[in-house]
Amino acid sequence: MPRSVRKLLGFVVFWMLPGIGAEVMAIETLTIATFGGVYRESQEKAFFEPFTAATGVEIKIVEHSGGIEAMQQQIQRGQIEWDVVDLELADNLQACNLGFLATLDHSQLAPAPDGTPATKDFFPDTLHECGIANVIYATVLGVNFSYYTGQIPDDISHLFDIDKFPGKRALRRTPIALLEWALLSYGVPKAEVYSLLSTERGINLAFKRLDQIKDDIVWWENGSEPVELLVNKEVAIASAFNGRLFSANAEDGHTLRTIWDGHHYEYSTWGILKDAPNYDRAIEFLIFATNAERMAEQTKYISYGPARESAHELVTHHEASGLEIHPHLPTSSDNLSKGIAKDYEWYSHTYDMLRERFHSWVEE
Amino acid sequence: MSDRSAKIGHILFESLRSPVKLVVIGVVVGIVMSCVAVGFVDLVLWVNDVVYIAPRSRMMIGEHFLLPILTVVVPTVGGFLSGCICLAIADKRAHGITDAIYSANTVSVKMPVRAGIFSGMAACVALSAGASVGQYGALAHLGASVGSWCSRIFRDEPYLDKIALGCGVAAAISAAFHAPFAGLVFAHEVILRNYSLRAFAPVTLAAGTGYMVASDIFGRPLLFYIEEIAVDSPHEFIYFVFIGIVGAGIAILFMRMLLYTSQLARSSNFPLPLRTAVAGLAVGIVALQVPEVLGIGRESLRFAIIEEAFSLPELSVILLAKIAVTILCLGFGMAGGVFAPALLIGILFGAIWGYGTEILFDEDRSHIVIYAICGMVAVVSPIIGAPLTCILIVFELTHNYPLATAAMVSVAFANLVSSRMFGRSLYDRDLLFRGVDMSMGRDKVILDQQDISNLISNEFSKLPADATLQIVRQTLSKDQRSEAYIVDQEENYLGTIFSFQLDELQEGDHQLLAQDVAKPETLVCDGADTVWEAMEKVSGFVGESIPVVDGRKLVGVVYESAIIKAYLESIEENRREENAA
Repeated sequence: MPRSVRKLLGFVVFWMLPGIGAEVMAIETLTIATFGGVYRESQEKAFFEPFTAATGVEIKIVEHSGGIEAMQQQIQRGQIEWDVVDLELADNLQACNLGFLATLDHSQLAPAPDGTPATKDFFPDTLHECGIANVIYATVLGVNFSYYTGQIPDDISHLFDIDKFPGKRALRRTPIALLEWALLSYGVPKAEVYSLLSTERGINLAFKRLDQIKDDIVWWENGSEPVELLVNKEVAIASAFNGRLFSANAEDGHTLRTIWDGHHYEYSTWGILKDAPNYDRAIEFLIFATNAERMAEQTKYISYGPARESAHELVTHHEASGLEIHPHLPTSSDNLSKGIAKDYEWYSHTYDMLRERFHSWVEE
Repeated sequence: MSDRSAKIGHILFESLRSPVKLVVIGVVVGIVMSCVAVGFVDLVLWVNDVVYIAPRSRMMIGEHFLLPILTVVVPTVGGFLSGCICLAIADKRAHGITDAIYSANTVSVKMPVRAGIFSGMAACVALSAGASVGQYGALAHLGASVGSWCSRIFRDEPYLDKIALGCGVAAAISAAFHAPFAGLVFAHEVILRNYSLRAFAPVTLAAGTGYMVASDIFGRPLLFYIEEIAVDSPHEFIYFVFIGIVGAGIAILFMRMLLYTSQLARSSNFPLPLRTAVAGLAVGIVALQVPEVLGIGRESLRFAIIEEAFSLPELSVILLAKIAVTILCLGFGMAGGVFAPALLIGILFGAIWGYGTEILFDEDRSHIVIYAICGMVAVVSPIIGAPLTCILIVFELTHNYPLATAAMVSVAFANLVSSRMFGRSLYDRDLLFRGVDMSMGRDKVILDQQDISNLISNEFSKLPADATLQIVRQTLSKDQRSEAYIVDQEENYLGTIFSFQLDELQEGDHQLLAQDVAKPETLVCDGADTVWEAMEKVSGFVGESIPVVDGRKLVGVVYESAIIKAYLESIEENRREENAA
């Protein structure tokens, strides 16, 4: 973005939001809690640095690994430290229900370049009471195909086919996506997965499938681990966030394969803490970071799909590799139809029970 | 020149008018009905979710103390409400496919709009509350009503009502199953009972439109997607034969118990809403232990085709429970169809057979999906009397030749057995109970609809009981007839004198009076006799006319020629309807 435009943007934002004129002269800091790795870097380049340039507000980044515990602790201490928080949608909804997050006014969001109001431009089900979807990211399977000489795994059911595709599997230590994949491997259509998982029989079937590979699983918790495990040939197949796999190939020259079949996609969502120390600046940031141009900009650094239609029209190339980015987004027309959307509402009610069952299964 | 082109234009217009109307009716009914079908299915799913019938919401509420209470209360209240809605229908019962078949195969009976709307609503309520009834029968009936209603756009077109009725059914099945061929064949095979060329185009269009609207515009996924599968060993076809035979046995048992229960319920004095509430209560109580019986059981349909999702004892318990609650719900008069519960009963039976085969014969078998699907069609086909539809549904939903072939074998044997031991279908049995016999085809039904009152003639030789034989002879000679009908002073029929009787008389017999010679006919007609009944009587009759009596009173005669003429006209009308293009 040219510097003059940034200045202009800063000027407009400055006058649009009353009551902050006096404070803006002092150095301000906005605290944003987000996830680490390539994802954080993409946000720094697309949102944080330009925001600072436009407003002079410094951004303090706090890395977190999801969940609502950290917010809960701040509230219990009576000392709110974060202003803005990037959360998985299910966590955002739960935090909202618990009153941790401020209610947002969607009409404040910037319209699309063609004037379409944001409420119509964002994908369905992406604007919530306390959350505005940021990117759509997918948990996919990554394969180190130097592991295989013949057929390379390309179907979600191959994850469970240890005879045909031997090798360790690195999987995230959570029931999310794993249970869905287990049912998909029985030939269950995507549309039926959650209603079947809502029965005792469905969950048992899923665990029965996971039993088949249990001895070959390496669990991971940090998003950067699966790529390392694949690259080091410690595992043959790994579940991973699609952006991490893409970066490993595009930026670090690896040749990992992404299996889009059955990818499990969900939204990452901005929220503002209730009683945030810099509430007004936080609102300002949200409006800034959710305009179509900024959201498209992020795809230059990470292959996550922007949550609004008009941003897709502005998507170009991956900055470091020069690769066309669109085919690598979970939201590309080819990829989206192969995926299964995370039923966040279902998870918000069942996650505790599933987690408990999952952990006792892991420890069995 | 301009005159000529105007004339050609007129001829062209006249010849195109009818086909255009048929096309319009097919497309309009297809669009309307597919929207109704999608809306109906979505509404049921949504309410299921809201009232904790759907597994998803049941799981989300978790082990809440309200869940068991809701499980019992919701179907009970739903049953009660569904029964109450049916009270708004003229004959105080939910209408269904049977009524659509009846209307399609009779000349004068139209689908009543009110019954269509209220039956649809009652079925929607019952299904939403998790009653063990089907949605496809209800949708097909709604389709028939919508079609019949749409046909009123073109009042002047002959037979359009029946064709539009078929269009509605085809669109409903096509949209609900995503199976346009099955929708088309179901409409002809089950409802219209003919493959008339004239009906074919609009019904096909309606089925195609229904499919396109549901899948392309509303983007509904396939109802029952099954991945590619193969039969491992040819000798398994023997098992598929037995699945057909035993499946028919289960279907017959189910249908007999259902008919018996309905009869019992009808003869009881309990009001309908009370009966349906009891049926709902039964569903709720059973569901506390076997939640699979709730609603149409989409999840169980899927689990039945997943290897080892069920154990044999589980399958048996669910099968018995499902049969019991379905019989209670439908037998007690709950609105809704029999198709969906039959699908589940059949698929569970097929899965039992598959696992049983493995245990009994200790050998490898094909994937359980093949057995389950064979069982499904073996039970469903005899119940709905639609072998072709069943085979096509399997084929369309799976696009899989081996599976459709296996299903075909089971269907063939199932229908062979059940047609011998039970009849064509549950619908036909239901119609028979109402006095409509479909077993001889639609010709008989139509002839059975017409009474002979229009055929009664007053032109016959009627003589008093005390007339001398001389007068009888003179009258017959004057009237040029060979039969004289003798009545007493109250016009009561005493008997008939044939001219040949007079010829055979001896000299002394001339003293006799008409009442001494007249022989009462063993064959007499009643004014309410139908053409078909009169036709049957005529077949064993020698003479030119049959006396028609009201009580004992002679009201006229029916000439044999008039009955045969009416019969031929009716048959001709039928053929014209079937063959008109």
